[in-house]
Amino acid sequence: MQVKVLSGNEALAYGALQAGVKVVTGYPGTPSTGALTSLLAMDLPGRYVEWSVNEKVAFEIAAGAAWAGQRALCTMKMSGLNVAYDSLISIAYSGCNGGLVIYVADDPGASAGMAEQDTRGFALMSDLPMLEPSSIRDTYRLTEVAFELSERVRTPVFVRLVASIANAKTALQIADPLPPADRTPILERNIAKYTKAGAAICITQHRDVIARLEKASEVIQEMELNSLQLAEKPGGLGIVAVGATVAYLGEAFDLAVEYGFDKTEVSILRTVTTTPFPAADVQRLFARCKSILALEELEPHLERGLHIEAHRFGFAGRIIGKLDDGPLSRVGEYDVDHVLQGLNMALGLRIPTDRFKGNRATETLAARRPITVCAGCPHRGTYMAINQAIQNLNLDKDEVMITGDIGCTILGMNPPFNTVWTEVSMGASVSLAQGYVHGGVETPVIATIGDSTFFHAGIPGLLNAIQHQTPLTLIIMDNGWTSMTGMQVNPGTDETFQRTGGCRIDLARVIPGLGIEQFFVTDPYDLKGTTSIIERCLTLPGVKVVLSRRECAIQVRRQGKRTGNVRLIPEKCVLCKRCVTATGCPALSIEAESITIDPALCNGCGLCAAVCPTGALKKEDGT
Amino acid sequence: MSYDIYLVGVGGQGILTLADLIVRAAVRKEHPVSFFPTKGMAQRGGFVKAELRLGQGGVGPHIRENGAHLVIAMERSEALKGVRYARPEGDFLLYGHVWEPTAVMLGEAAYPSLESVLETVRGSNARLVYLDSRELPKIDGVYVAANIFVLGAAFGNTTLGEVLDADKMTEVVQARWPRGAKRNVAAFDAGLRVRGTS
Repeated sequence: MQVKVLSGNEALAYGALQAGVKVVTGYPGTPSTGALTSLLAMDLPGRYVEWSVNEKVAFEIAAGAAWAGQRALCTMKMSGLNVAYDSLISIAYSGCNGGLVIYVADDPGASAGMAEQDTRGFALMSDLPMLEPSSIRDTYRLTEVAFELSERVRTPVFVRLVASIANAKTALQIADPLPPADRTPILERNIAKYTKAGAAICITQHRDVIARLEKASEVIQEMELNSLQLAEKPGGLGIVAVGATVAYLGEAFDLAVEYGFDKTEVSILRTVTTTPFPAADVQRLFARCKSILALEELEPHLERGLHIEAHRFGFAGRIIGKLDDGPLSRVGEYDVDHVLQGLNMALGLRIPTDRFKGNRATETLAARRPITVCAGCPHRGTYMAINQAIQNLNLDKDEVMITGDIGCTILGMNPPFNTVWTEVSMGASVSLAQGYVHGGVETPVIATIGDSTFFHAGIPGLLNAIQHQTPLTLIIMDNGWTSMTGMQVNPGTDETFQRTGGCRIDLARVIPGLGIEQFFVTDPYDLKGTTSIIERCLTLPGVKVVLSRRECAIQVRRQGKRTGNVRLIPEKCVLCKRCVTATGCPALSIEAESITIDPALCNGCGLCAAVCPTGALKKEDGT
Repeated sequence: MSYDIYLVGVGGQGILTLADLIVRAAVRKEHPVSFFPTKGMAQRGGFVKAELRLGQGGVGPHIRENGAHLVIAMERSEALKGVRYARPEGDFLLYGHVWEPTAVMLGEAAYPSLESVLETVRGSNARLVYLDSRELPKIDGVYVAANIFVLGAAFGNTTLGEVLDADKMTEVVQARWPRGAKRNVAAFDAGLRVRGTS
């Protein structure tokens, strides 16, 4: 045993190791990334861990390993589950042999941007059990339990965290991880289980998946994963809480005491699942209580289940939750205040709501900080070149659609670039652009995407554009890394960083192989050259692809390399501020006499020098 | 004992490192600890916050509004985002460094005045401890790490010093960067000695 300060993601990783996991796959996505990252950083003989090209591929690899009888884990953010879902339904129907656990992280409050998607809805749709740990400690325990549950029921099992558990940290006592179980792989020929060949097979599998969820419900009861505390006195309030809200109950109870709250009069069900619905425990709660308060973040899945169960059971009391259209919202994260609001609604405690609400009004006075790309980011050169090319062609910037994509490349939406217009999902930029073309837009249409996003889901969109010869310019900003999520390898990352025996796939060789005639490779630090290539593309017919390629500046710096230096000649600076307005580079500041460069930040890309009209900024080659 | 610390600042100021050092000191003392850093997507120049909850096991990661025993703000404008978490009678340590976003530098957006920020903090009924960023000392002609200086100032000027031991904190700082220990300990000590204004 040892005590470590661990995040929820790391606790999940250790829980999986404790369960003897053999194969781990995933695709990076905040807030889930840390789980697989922590495993990759460990020496794990006898186990296989990889960042896969996308979540669907990752899940299929994990499922294959589980079908071969091994314990497998697949990690992703909620958006990634959307990508994997096609295979997930099929594999839910087939079940599994070895334990198969899907870790998915939701983001109530959308702190990482994207959707406040509640993936519990997917558990409902696929009839798969989903464990919802309420703390980091709980995550460690329930991840190990998830493998056991999966193998006992022969079904894939979800573990769902939210950002405030995945990325929070606490000191945790953990066991020394066990080596993976030594299992001989199974090769089972069974078309009734592993294919969907015909209605009879599919209908049988549908029955099986429903039966497995019922079995899971029994096993969860048997394992006593839920905690039910019944008040001695009947007729009181029953609270049903799941996930992150569970952790705020105790604190809220303490605060509510002075308003007449007595926790001995309350019955509490802390459930670890919404699916399967904890019907047996809920029935015991109904039998004891007069009213029920449902506490859950995002969608009212648990609450709806309570209404249905109440109807079946004949419970006539009040069920209080977010369907009441009160202060319990479907939007945002929950904290102690939501529990207090719930107690107010359920018990009429008259806890003054402003006591736990601070002054937000002054926050509007805070300066806005739109995020931009790092100093030296190669994407900066690409945005500047796109903007310049549009201007050179005398086009109105508001008439040129530039679709954007997921990852660092989306930062081109912000000032000073204001280049890209849209952000939808991995790879969507390429196909959305085709829609604008067919929608009758007559000005040139541009799609922008990063390298990892292109590998992940951008390639089918490009194939489609080529097949149908839809005129557009696709600009792939290739910085060699999956950067936004904290620098993970992808198929295009340099071979030095690939797994032993792995190899790099060079987009400069892949794209010409698709039969594209208008294909250009450019260096985004070369503003003039990149501008002229994009300008040319915007006047050519057909599908044009620009590979704007330069390694991520952060990674270059970490490798101890330097691409160049920028020298400031202050006497020549006339404070026209062109460098700042064109680049928005965090290394530049405006001082009284001249621009200044923060040498600790500057990565020497020279893009400021490229737009300096007086020669006050000079690019010099690096060493 | 329960002690909640809400930290705000700008990416690049070392606010998460500051929080991490407190976590290490708390773990050494075997205090239960919950640490929730949020840095959004920004590497530098973006809003960063962290929530630290000491002394209570099994609590959720979020500090309630009006609940933080101590707010540490490392940037003048971002301090406004900490105000709603300040507990009346708690401490609010404001290190008044100004990190202007580009739009402010270009004169296209407003930036709050020092007086307006100080007034807002005072209005929360927390005890204001204001540190002028010009107090940041130099050693051998180079400024010390502001986050370590602010950490020292928190020990010397707020109730944090009653919850954790400054000597133990010094050991944690030393252990964290064995090679830069001397500078960082000096930065911490300078913070301990400095007296903020209210």
